[in-house]
Amino acid sequence: MDQLDLLRKDWKKQNADLPKLTSNELKKIIHKKSSSVVKWIFIISLLEFLLPIVLFLFVGADNINDRYRALGLYEFNLITTILMYAIAVVFMILFYLNYRKISAESSAKVLLTNIIRTRKTVKYYIWISLSMIPILVFVTAFQMLHAPEYAPIFKQYNIVIIWFIVSFIAVSMVGLGWLIYRLLYGILLKRLHKNYKELHDFKG
Amino acid sequence: MSNTLEQKFVKDLEEHQNIVHKICKLYTNNQDAHNDLFQEISIQLWKAYPKFRGEAKFSTWMYRVSLNTAITLYRKSKRRIKTQDFETVVFKIESSEYDPTEEEQLRVLYEAIRQLSDIDKALVFLYLEEKNYKEIADTMGITEVNARVKMNRVKNKLRDILNP
Repeated sequence: MDQLDLLRKDWKKQNADLPKLTSNELKKIIHKKSSSVVKWIFIISLLEFLLPIVLFLFVGADNINDRYRALGLYEFNLITTILMYAIAVVFMILFYLNYRKISAESSAKVLLTNIIRTRKTVKYYIWISLSMIPILVFVTAFQMLHAPEYAPIFKQYNIVIIWFIVSFIAVSMVGLGWLIYRLLYGILLKRLHKNYKELHDFKG
Repeated sequence: MSNTLEQKFVKDLEEHQNIVHKICKLYTNNQDAHNDLFQEISIQLWKAYPKFRGEAKFSTWMYRVSLNTAITLYRKSKRRIKTQDFETVVFKIESSEYDPTEEEQLRVLYEAIRQLSDIDKALVFLYLEEKNYKEIADTMGITEVNARVKMNRVKNKLRDILNP
């Protein structure tokens, strides 16, 4: 006999040994809090959307705006802030549309695809947000090097070293942001990715 | 959600709870984890219930939502580490035709199933529940041919585990 046939024969016998919950017990259970991974994906994604916005709020504060004005960066800062908010709004709409497609009633493959697609929206948003960092750092550094207020200070140092430090700061900020994001992404999606790959790579 | 709907759902769940318990047995290895997964599946079923139109049988719909929760939505709780694992023989034979060789074979088989991936476990579960390949394919989102081939691969995997 095939080993699975032996199992099949035994499978039916176990019904009597299984727990039997009463309707009252079941009623209590269905009103408990869900700890579904989708709920966590939603909460963490929202935080990820909000973080760059909050950072931009900080960058756009009045006293900092005065400094930007002195450096001739006021317009640049204004445009990048508006651009950042517009990008955030577009991605949040895309995120919401993808999130709405997540349904436990889909097939396993469609459910996994929709969850991963939803997270990918956040991934692209994070990429764009992080790519803004080196642009901001380099433009600010360039303007500072040429601003009458700061130029004499920087003149004392080797220009190569200054740009090396600026690059190091930009790379470190991007790297740190990316590392935190990958860590969150990994924790949330490791198991889902494995299952997704198993269903998608299967060609028969 | 209305009380009538809740009562109807609880009645359906009570009647078909064996399906959920069996899935929990396959995907968890101790009582706490079993209870956690049972709770999460019940919550997901209740959340999805208003959309259940009765086009499919309640049990068929239940297989899909429950397996999706076990494979995808459930976040394994850490507290299960603290409790003792199930005995290897979870499903004991209560048969008059007691056969020690068969019991040993079954013990090893259930242990082998535990070592399978989440997806393979789902396939084995649907096979044991005597679902046809079309239903298996629909639940998993793969083609019928793929379901057949994949099931054969799972059988071979089990054979490899059992006869290394």
